[in-house]
Amino acid sequence: MNIAVCVKRIPKTAEADIFIEKDGKDIKKDNLVFALNDWDGYAVREAVLLKEKYEGEVIVLTIGPEESKEVLTRCLAMGADRAVRIEAPSSSDGHLIAKILAQATKGQSFDLILTGVQAEDDGWGQVGVALAQLLGLPHASIVTHIEVENGKAKVRRELEGGIEELLEVKLPAVLTIQTGINEPKYVSLSAILDAEDKETKEVGLEEIGFTSKAPLDATIDQVSFPPTGKMAEILKGTPEEVVGQLTEIIKKKKG
Amino acid sequence: MKIDPKTFIHDYQLNICIQCGTCTGGCPVKFRSPLNMRRLVRETHLTDNFSSISKRAELWACTTCSTCSLRCPSGVKNVELIMGIRNFLANKGEVPSTIRDALENTLLQGNPWGRFRDRRADWAQDLGVKIFGEETSETLFYVGCAPSYDPRVQSVSTSLVRIFQKAGVDFAILGKKESCCGNEIRRMGEQALFKKLAKDNTALFKKLGVKRIITISPHCYNAFKNEYPDLNIPVQHYTQVLVDLIEAGKLHLSKELGISVTYHDPCFLGKQNKVFDEPRKILNSIPGCDFIEMERSRERSLCCEGGGGRMWAEGGTEGKRNGEIRIREAVALAAKTLATACPFCLLTFEDSVKTSGLAEQIVVKDIAELVMEALEVQ
Amino acid sequence: MLEIFVLVEHRQGQIRDLTYEMLGLGEKLANQQGTSFAAILLGHDVKSFAEDLATRAPKVLVVEDENLKNFNSILYQQTLSSLISKYQPCLLLMGHSALGMDLAPSLSVEMEFPLATDCIGLSFEGARLKATRSIYGGKVNASVSLRESKGYIATIRPGVFSPKMVGEKKGGIVMESSPLQGMVDVKKFIEYIEAPITGEDITQAEILISVGQGIGGPEHIPLFEELAKNLGGTISCSRPVVDRNWLPKERQVGISGKTVKPKVYLAIGISGAFQHVTAMQGSDTIIAINKDPRAPIFGVAHYGIVDDFQNVIPVLKEKTKSWK
Ligand SMILES: Cc1cc2nc3c(=O)[nH]c(=O)nc-3n(C[C@H](O)[C@H](O)[C@H](O)COP(=O)(O)OP(=O)(O)OC[C@H]3O[C@@H](n4cnc5c(N)ncnc54)[C@H](O)[C@@H]3O)c2cc1C
Ligand code: SF4
Ligand code: SF4
Repeated sequence: MNIAVCVKRIPKTAEADIFIEKDGKDIKKDNLVFALNDWDGYAVREAVLLKEKYEGEVIVLTIGPEESKEVLTRCLAMGADRAVRIEAPSSSDGHLIAKILAQATKGQSFDLILTGVQAEDDGWGQVGVALAQLLGLPHASIVTHIEVENGKAKVRRELEGGIEELLEVKLPAVLTIQTGINEPKYVSLSAILDAEDKETKEVGLEEIGFTSKAPLDATIDQVSFPPTGKMAEILKGTPEEVVGQLTEIIKKKKG
Repeated sequence: MKIDPKTFIHDYQLNICIQCGTCTGGCPVKFRSPLNMRRLVRETHLTDNFSSISKRAELWACTTCSTCSLRCPSGVKNVELIMGIRNFLANKGEVPSTIRDALENTLLQGNPWGRFRDRRADWAQDLGVKIFGEETSETLFYVGCAPSYDPRVQSVSTSLVRIFQKAGVDFAILGKKESCCGNEIRRMGEQALFKKLAKDNTALFKKLGVKRIITISPHCYNAFKNEYPDLNIPVQHYTQVLVDLIEAGKLHLSKELGISVTYHDPCFLGKQNKVFDEPRKILNSIPGCDFIEMERSRERSLCCEGGGGRMWAEGGTEGKRNGEIRIREAVALAAKTLATACPFCLLTFEDSVKTSGLAEQIVVKDIAELVMEALEVQ
Repeated sequence: MLEIFVLVEHRQGQIRDLTYEMLGLGEKLANQQGTSFAAILLGHDVKSFAEDLATRAPKVLVVEDENLKNFNSILYQQTLSSLISKYQPCLLLMGHSALGMDLAPSLSVEMEFPLATDCIGLSFEGARLKATRSIYGGKVNASVSLRESKGYIATIRPGVFSPKMVGEKKGGIVMESSPLQGMVDVKKFIEYIEAPITGEDITQAEILISVGQGIGGPEHIPLFEELAKNLGGTISCSRPVVDRNWLPKERQVGISGKTVKPKVYLAIGISGAFQHVTAMQGSDTIIAINKDPRAPIFGVAHYGIVDDFQNVIPVLKEKTKSWK
């Protein structure tokens, strides 16, 4: 069973102060820490678990600048066999990303291609399913469970309201992986250091035969802080004072 | 890097064990978990199925307090054995999920809680502290992870800054450039990550021209003093610095506190590094501070269970925690304050005070906070 | 002439609320463009849905086919692409939902229509579509321009747009013939799986103490349990807390968990991602505790505390001890 996993390096923003770049088109990233997109981490782990069960090879791909090599190294340390970095400026156009990935995976005998459901940073949630269409493969998105038998994958998709659906998808197929599908394993630093010695293939767009100069589907005009609009009334004071106000509110509201 | 458990016999001198059981006898978690050091030494020595030993959950119950290895009459390296096994497990990725998160957070954000690097010095914002890079000093005040991020322990960091400022000590902190010292990382089994932290921190300290390091946590103190291979910079725990300042007449502890206080020796300060007298000297120089010695004190101090990665591991033990036992011992002495000098002891005791329902009878303080109180003349 | 299409979402015999929100948006955009909008209903035995939808949309296009009984992206895509070829709509709206996420990207590639996903705002500039999207965990909004095209597809974030109410005029129902030639065997729906409730039912609770990834680790759960006990409430959580096994799945609030409407919802260390917020914003009173003053949760909360929870919760717990 040969599996390709498409991954992305993203900045962590949850607790960070955010500033907007001068040109207004993105946030400043020099104060941020970067990591492997959470969803992709689950996808790589799932691929490795499937490999352990059914044998075969796991290949990870990313599109991005030099620095994105570090997430590939992490994937290799997690148990992926080979890594490919496609040199291209990062883009927020999901369709373009899907087209490049399609060009890079086309004609290779993958049984499964996995992506994360979405990226933590811009959250388009588009690449996996678009890639499937470009390759002419069936797909399932938001997958929380995979079982493979007789050239088919039985997968569970997460729906709204705590309900899931069980599907059967013929292989080869593209699946987008939801968090929680497996228990991530610790990736030790020594495994990462060992993985740094493994080769990461670096290719340019021409090398994979990607020549399309079609205009981007989507471009960001500007980013801005959300309008404050209706905002919570912020309770102020020492913790004791704040809790004093809080208990009054809870008392009143809980009836 | 593959680890061969066969080398454990030689590395940790398992073959010289005389099976006297002293190690197990003194172990603070022996009643609370199946961990039995004497048996572990024996079994690791003789087994040809090491992986069955390494699967045992109780390996994560050890607090690395070192009571066992310090008391072993033969010189078996018991704690190093535990850390060796954990290293074997970490390299295979087989660690409890909370330890996994703590280790990954440290690699990514430089602290086991995964709090943002950028926020590491938020606590010091309004204190007028010098930060290396903007200004310089020969003395590095190394704050550490818990004192940087944990709101309870931040009060210790702030107290020390005020005390040093009052005594005219010239110092600077690393601010956002500070990273975990790695002491607990090593004890959770991540030797490679520890080595990286040691290397990076050493290089940073040297580049900044640091001539002396002061730490808040005995755990950082231990790492810098005993486990950083190329540091060669003198390290002091803050209690040692305060004694010097008091003796040199630079700190006037003038306010009567009117409290009875007992002191808990942190394992990494006391039994492992023999800093016993300084904390007591400080307490004795605080006016109106009636110092009572605990029955189990100095070398015999009962581990609070905050070390060895226990701040991040759950489970592996059951029953009443040592922190609670310790709180009850202090209350039995009629002490109104339990003083300590370690962030982890402080946090575990704060928790135990609550769980034991003794909050009315005793408070937990760090020595730095008591000194700060005694300095303040209203 | 070029209409706006709204794809109706329904599952297990019910139209999903998001449909009405999309109709509301569809109408607004249609007025802006001087055109009209239509509800696109695919399914089996969906007459009653069509009647309901006709009270809110000027036109309902219905494709009846037993193979459309349950959602299957391939069959939906085949049906939609033939409807699009026939009617040439300028925009197709779908939910940013399990359905839309499984369908919109592949349909967009097939039709060569640019796609904007997870939109919280949409407008036309001439014939060109512009979208507002919330990115970086809700910390900033991005205005996105889509390339010029004869048609667009957009998926809409649930809970953002006001639903279309029942109108006075009843729209027409147009039955379309199904282009499908039976099932496909590359992707087959088998069944729905519902997780059984074993512990406490968070949808019944009057007070929810809801914890997020910001609590740092499972070691703090007992603290919140005690607080819940004091307040007579129940513990719930965001999704990462379940993914990390700090709490069981049945405690999860959000689109892929439970929708809750307690009297008091206390959100602690929860950033306020829409997948979470849509399922709790109907609570009577929402109180958020978060260290980050910019956390999007403060946009839906009625009261907020900007602080580390460790400064606040222990004090609150002590103070409410006597309430038990
Ligand atoms: C298809 C799909 C379905 C999903 N379904 C759901 C769902 O049903 N429910 C759900 O919740 N999510 C769901 N998600 C995930 C969602 O997108 C978010 O990732 C998630 O809600 C974030 O959870 P969080 O707020 O707990 O964590 P984070 O976004 O990491 O936020 C943590 C917050 O805690 C704050 N914080 C940190 N430390 C402290 C402290 N010491 N004191 C106070 N505050 C602190 C931080 O400032 C931050 O705002 C879904 C995602 C997808 C793609
Ligand atoms: S104390 Fe030392 S010699 Fe005695 S049993 Fe333990 S390891 Fe062996
Ligand atoms: S280090 Fe302490 S806790 Fe660990 S085995 Fe030895 S005595 Fe027990």
